[in-house]
Amino acid sequence: MDPTLAWLTILALAAATFATRLSFMGLLAHVELPRLLQRGLAYVPPAILAAIIAPQVFPVVQELPTLAWPRLVAALVAFAVAFRTGSTLATVCIGMLVLWGLQALQG
Amino acid sequence: MAVIPFGVVCGASAASIGLSFWQAFGMAWLVFAGSSQIVATQLMASGAPLWVTVLTGWVVNLRFMMYSATLAPHFRGRSRSARWVAAYLLTDQAFAATLGRIVDGDDARATAWFYFGMAASTWLFWQVASIAGILLGSFIPARWSMDFIVALTFVALLVPLLNDRLMRSAAVVGGMVALAPQLPFRLNLITAALAGAAVAMLLEKIWTRPSPG
Repeated sequence: MDPTLAWLTILALAAATFATRLSFMGLLAHVELPRLLQRGLAYVPPAILAAIIAPQVFPVVQELPTLAWPRLVAALVAFAVAFRTGSTLATVCIGMLVLWGLQALQG
Repeated sequence: MAVIPFGVVCGASAASIGLSFWQAFGMAWLVFAGSSQIVATQLMASGAPLWVTVLTGWVVNLRFMMYSATLAPHFRGRSRSARWVAAYLLTDQAFAATLGRIVDGDDARATAWFYFGMAASTWLFWQVASIAGILLGSFIPARWSMDFIVALTFVALLVPLLNDRLMRSAAVVGGMVALAPQLPFRLNLITAALAGAAVAMLLEKIWTRPSPG
């Protein structure tokens, strides 16, 4: 990775992130968030989190999603654990143990 | 405390794509937003153009605008430097904890101090966890599949959001769009976020329309 490009990316992302945080606390302190935007912003996190998870469970190989069985099963178990416990640590630990177990079975 | 595992994961993935210690640590305290750090790390590793990496990371962080608007009334009387520090420290964890206080009906001054306490301790735990992750990250063999911790962490973040059918629709659409054929410049994530939000807003309009008669 080119060090200059890496630093430029980090600094630009830092500035863009700080701008979202400062928005209504600082620069737009006397502006109300429009209702339409408020609704739209609420739906971005579930969409983007699912978008990050999906390709890790269904890896896209040669333009087509394929199935990674151990990862799919581990992710489904993790969903159940997250739903039941609400604990990040339990979700990650149990998910990884299931993945390693299935990978060991596959040899 | 809950941010420690995520901080370790973010530090480790930054180290694993070949960022130097100072670049990885710089990301932890300059960007200070785990989900966008992970996304940016993956895009950098895949050779995406700078503008796509930054734009995608920014979309991941758009939720901070919503938090910022919610907290703003409690910081209106504060000095500019206090508001800038409060903004820099804004995270999911600090926001969620403070929201609980606001609902309890606390006064603005106490709420602001509570926020600073929560946000500053989150920041401290995040930096320590990041350093641990950066130092450990380069020693972990690939066959341990530690990259999957990222997906599992996001599962833990996603599940509590799925509390109504609109949020679930946004997640389903986002996940499906992410699996579509590779878009130019690796714009899949941004497209997935926008498509998920757009479909959910459309469904909200349809489902909340009063039935005739």
